[in-house]
Amino acid sequence: MNKVLRNPLAYALFILPALIMYIAIYILPLFSSLRNSFTSWNGINEATFNGLDNFRTAFSDERFWIAFKNNITFVLFSSFVQVPIIIFISIVISGVRKFLNFYKTTVFLPSILSTAVIGTLWQFIYHPDVGLINQLLRAVGLESWTHAWLGEEGTAFLAILITNSWQWFGFYIVLLLSAIFAVPRELLESAEMDGAVGFKKSWYITIPMIRPVILVILLLSITGAMNALDIVLIMTYGEPFGSSEVMGTYLYKQAYKFNEFGYASAISIIIFVFTVLVTLIFQQIAKRTEEVEQ
Amino acid sequence: MNVKLSKGIPHLFLLAYVFIVLYPLFFLLNTSFKKNMQIDSDPWGLPEPFTLNNYTYSLSNSKIGIYFSNSLFISIVSTLATLGLSICIAYAITRMKYPFLSKYVYAILLLSLLIPSPSLLIPLYRMVNWLGIYNTPLGLIIPYTTFGIPLTVFVISAFLKSVPKELEEAGVMEGLSVYGLLGRIILPLTLPTLVTVFILNYLGNWNEYVLANLFLSNDNLRTLPVAVVSFFNKYNTNYGALCSSVMISITPIILIYSVLQKKIIEGVMAGSVKG
Repeated sequence: MNKVLRNPLAYALFILPALIMYIAIYILPLFSSLRNSFTSWNGINEATFNGLDNFRTAFSDERFWIAFKNNITFVLFSSFVQVPIIIFISIVISGVRKFLNFYKTTVFLPSILSTAVIGTLWQFIYHPDVGLINQLLRAVGLESWTHAWLGEEGTAFLAILITNSWQWFGFYIVLLLSAIFAVPRELLESAEMDGAVGFKKSWYITIPMIRPVILVILLLSITGAMNALDIVLIMTYGEPFGSSEVMGTYLYKQAYKFNEFGYASAISIIIFVFTVLVTLIFQQIAKRTEEVEQ
Repeated sequence: MNVKLSKGIPHLFLLAYVFIVLYPLFFLLNTSFKKNMQIDSDPWGLPEPFTLNNYTYSLSNSKIGIYFSNSLFISIVSTLATLGLSICIAYAITRMKYPFLSKYVYAILLLSLLIPSPSLLIPLYRMVNWLGIYNTPLGLIIPYTTFGIPLTVFVISAFLKSVPKELEEAGVMEGLSVYGLLGRIILPLTLPTLVTVFILNYLGNWNEYVLANLFLSNDNLRTLPVAVVSFFNKYNTNYGALCSSVMISITPIILIYSVLQKKIIEGVMAGSVKG
């Protein structure tokens, strides 16, 4: 047995192809980004070393700050607005017996559609003339409330956040539902006998029991918010006036629109460092609250 | 308090939510059967008259069939490649007797969870150019295949850890080599898990937009998501054609979902739980 499973050639054959591809496409690019981030480079000529210039530019670049702030808004919106609503809806769904499957399948539906489809659909919904929202406002006589939702600085990014919620709510709800249904029945029954019903029961029993999955959801939505790119690219392209820009789209434009590959690489390194930082902070907070609870 | 009433409240609330999820899609469907005149004047009503013109127009005016088969081809090839590479690596690190090396391999794969995809854009773009596969299907197939590897390995490894060793021992008794063990014993056992990760990867590839938009500029190679985004500009004010095109692009996947919802939900979930 051990002899068969100690076969260096087979081990190499199994591991190397995938590992080489993975390192070439995942790990090496990060290093090449790091190297390029210290250069001035238009993608064609030789890159010239310029030290920390790109990072200095980024920190004094107003547009980059807007993008950075939008990423932070995205993270905060996901953690403090989306996640509580998701928990609430999941608990409500878990309480019903009839139509449970119907609810589950329907709410999950947007998660299988592409961001391209969802972005296009919502561009249509937000459309100033024929869009669902403005038509609705006009129908109820609130003409003055109508906006060019994706075309105005004040509303564009919020409109994207709402679309993003619509896209991902169902996915997280189904994830939470499976956790809620894994809570031992006896625990809930004994809580009920002690007088914990309705939301009291959820607050004291269900939520602490599903805490690990809530943390997973938080982490997934935080990294999702940091990596946001396609939905913004599709819906607003960062416009108007860069008001809905995120770091991902800003990087994209610096590279492919302005050929500032050095600067774009520096931004990609900032995104990486920032993602790692946010993840570490999150894990610290998660650990600390666990200690408090115990 | 009236028991029936208190039981009804959650349903009312949930139906409102279901309405928010489904109405935009219904609006799209409804609009796709309307004439452009009516889209503007009567957004809420049912199509009057009911027309299929939008569909015939968008089917004859765009290469939607080509985009569709491009997407299908690229997604299937990448997904199968991911699964093939991943089951080998997962088998090697969970079953073969190199625990020390395997731990490192697993740790390197875990790194992927920290790397934000936008950071990879520029180096990948250069690599694809350098390899001469820019503007070819391979330009997407190679990155897609690789992007799927880490999660797929995690999911398959988690499953393989639960497979009892006795099965392989019996295999060894019968004289199977390590390749035989993988092909004849492990692979059939892993099939249900493979279906799950197939769905997970397939949907990811099928829906990918950013790389597809960057790496393919030839209209005949375009994938569906890139095409859908271009419809919005292409059909400018022809909303009927826009809606019918989007409908055509999502109908197959919605049909498949209505049949295989359970398996699909499980597939999409697989990635997050193990991560």
